[in-house]
Amino acid sequence: MSERDHLVVRQASKRYGATTVLDRVDLSIRRGELVTLLGPSGCGKTTLLRLIAGLALPDTGSVSIAGRDVTRVPPHKRNVGVVFQNYALFPHLSVAGNVAFGLNVRRRPKAEVRAAVEKALALVHLGHLAERPISALSGGQQQRVALARALAVEPDVLLFDEALSALDRKLREEMQGEMRRMLRDIDATAIFVTHDQDEALTMSDRVAVMNGGRIEQLAEPRLIYERPASLFTLNFVGLSTRIPGTVVSEDNGTVEVDTPVGRLVATGGFIPGSRVIVATRPEHLRPATGDEGNAVNGRVRSIVFQGSRSLVEVGAGGETLLAELPGQEAAHLAPDAEIRLGWPVRETFAFPAPELSTPELAA
Amino acid sequence: MINRLATLFAWAMAIGAALFLLAPLIVIAAASFSPTPVFDLPVDGASLRWYTRIGQMDGFWPALSLSLQLAAFSTLLALVLGTLAAIAIAQGRLPGAEAIGTFLVSPLMMPGLVLGIALLQYFRMVGFNAAWSALLLAHLVVTLPYVARTMIAGLSRFDFTLVEAARTLGCTYPGAILKVMVPALAPSFLTAGLFSFLASFDNYPVSIFLTDVRTKTLPIKMLQYIEEAPDPTLAALSTCILAATVVLLIASDRLVGLHRMAGTGQ
Repeated sequence: MSERDHLVVRQASKRYGATTVLDRVDLSIRRGELVTLLGPSGCGKTTLLRLIAGLALPDTGSVSIAGRDVTRVPPHKRNVGVVFQNYALFPHLSVAGNVAFGLNVRRRPKAEVRAAVEKALALVHLGHLAERPISALSGGQQQRVALARALAVEPDVLLFDEALSALDRKLREEMQGEMRRMLRDIDATAIFVTHDQDEALTMSDRVAVMNGGRIEQLAEPRLIYERPASLFTLNFVGLSTRIPGTVVSEDNGTVEVDTPVGRLVATGGFIPGSRVIVATRPEHLRPATGDEGNAVNGRVRSIVFQGSRSLVEVGAGGETLLAELPGQEAAHLAPDAEIRLGWPVRETFAFPAPELSTPELAA
Repeated sequence: MINRLATLFAWAMAIGAALFLLAPLIVIAAASFSPTPVFDLPVDGASLRWYTRIGQMDGFWPALSLSLQLAAFSTLLALVLGTLAAIAIAQGRLPGAEAIGTFLVSPLMMPGLVLGIALLQYFRMVGFNAAWSALLLAHLVVTLPYVARTMIAGLSRFDFTLVEAARTLGCTYPGAILKVMVPALAPSFLTAGLFSFLASFDNYPVSIFLTDVRTKTLPIKMLQYIEEAPDPTLAALSTCILAATVVLLIASDRLVGLHRMAGTGQ
C-alpha cells in the first residue's frame, strides 16, 4: 500500500446464504479522489459501500481507512460520512438538528457545534433554512441537508449510496456539477454508488465498473468509455455496435474477423478460430469514404433525431450497426436508403464471445 | 351539475353521520345539568347538583381506582410487549411474521362476550381466581391488539436506514434506537397508548365475567347504578369521562398532531 492510498479494500468477499455478493474485491483510493462504483442492481456495489461504512462485515478480506485497519470496527467508530439514497434524515429534528446530530453524539462543545453546523449549511447554501422542519423541504434541499450532515463530522471518507437517484433529471444534473465542485473545494475523498452511467462519468476521477460481485474495470471515465476492458463494460457504459464473428488471423495486436457483415479488423489478440464479438462506439461510424479500416454496406433502418446529432440504425447481414452522425450528415438520410459506413481499426474492439470455449490470448 | 349535486350529497351525509354520532353525547351532557332527578333536558335552569353527587355514589372511588389501575398497567404492559412484537414482525426476518401479526391483532375482531366467557372458563380450569390479576390479564388481551396494530403500522412506515444513518454519525446501536427510532415513533406510541387506555377503561363485556363482589370496574358499577337508581348522577359522570377524553385528545393533538396519530397526514 502506497502512502497515498487513503482507503484500501483488500480481497473482500461477502456471501448471503448461497449467493456470493462480493467476490475477492480489491480497491484502492487516494486521498481527495472521487470514485464511482457503477453497475446494475445486484452487482455488489451497495454491499461494498456498506462494508466500507461498517454497516456490513466482510466474510474475508480487510478494509482500512486513513492507514487504520477498520475491518472489525463498528460504524460509529469509523469516521465515515454516508449520504443515503432516501437521505435518511431524522424527521423529529430540524435542519440544524440533523446537521448537528453527529457532533452532538460526539459531545462537542455547543459553540463548536453551532459553528460547524453553520459552516456545513453555508457550504450547501441552506443557511437560511436552519430552523425548518425536514418535512418542509423539497427533495433537492433534503439532499443537501443529508450532505451537510455527513460533512459536518469531517469524515475521512464520504460515501454516497445512489444519493442523487431520487431527484428529477434536471435537478440531478445540476447537483452533479455542484457536488463535484463542492467536494473538490473541501478536498473530500468520496465514493459514489450508482447505476447511472452519466452520473459516474460526470462526477468521478475514476470509475469502478462492477458486475457479479467483482470490479470489471477501474479507470478514468474516458478510458472506461473509449477502452472498455470487457464486453460487460462496453454494454453497460454508452452505446455500441456489436457483431459476433470468428477470428481468421491474428497479426501484431490486431485480428481479422469473419462476421455476417463481412471481414472486419479489430484490435485484440485471439487465436484463429476464436468466437469473438467485434464492437465499436457509434460516434466512430461515418459514411465511408474509402480509406477506413472497416466498412460495411447496409440499409438505414431508423433515424432518431437528437438535436445536434442523430442516431442512425443500419441493418446489414442480419446485424445492426449504430451510428451517431452530426446533424448535417444525417439530414439527407431517409429510412430504407442504402448506406456504406466506415470506421477506424483502432476504435474497433474484439471481446471473447460470452459462450466462448476456445482459449484466449492476452489482449 | 351532477358533480356538484354529488358533492352536496356527500357533505350532507357526512354532516348527518357526525350529528348522528354526536347527538347522544350532546343529550347526555345536557341531561347532566338537569335540575330534576329524571333524565331531562335543562330547559328551565341548569344545576350542578348531580356533579356533587358523583363522589358520594356507593363504591364509586374503588371502582374508579380499579379501572384506572387496570387501564394504566395493561397499557404499560401492552406497550412494551406490543412494541417488541411489532419490531420482530416489521423487521420481517421472522418466519410467518405476517401470520403472527394477524394472530396478535385477532382479539379485535372477536366479540368481547366470547372472549370474556373463554377467559372465565380458562381461568377456572387452571384454578386462577385472583380477580385483580385475572382482570389485568384479560385487559391485556383486549389492549394488546390495539398496541400491536398501531406499532406494526408505525414500524412498517419506519425507515430502518435512519438507525444506520445514526450509527454512521457516531451512535452505538442501542443509542441509535433510543435517539432516532423512539422519537420518530412517538406518535405511534401515543396513539397506541391512548387507544389501549380507552379500550381498557370502558371495557364491559370482558370484565363482567371476571369481577367479584368487591372487585368491580367503573363501567360495571355504572350499569349497576342505572338498574338500581337511574338519576342524572350517571349523566354527570359520563360527561366527566367525556370531558377527560376530550382533554386527552386535545393534549395529544398539541403534542404530535391527530393527523399523524391517525396516520392520515405526513
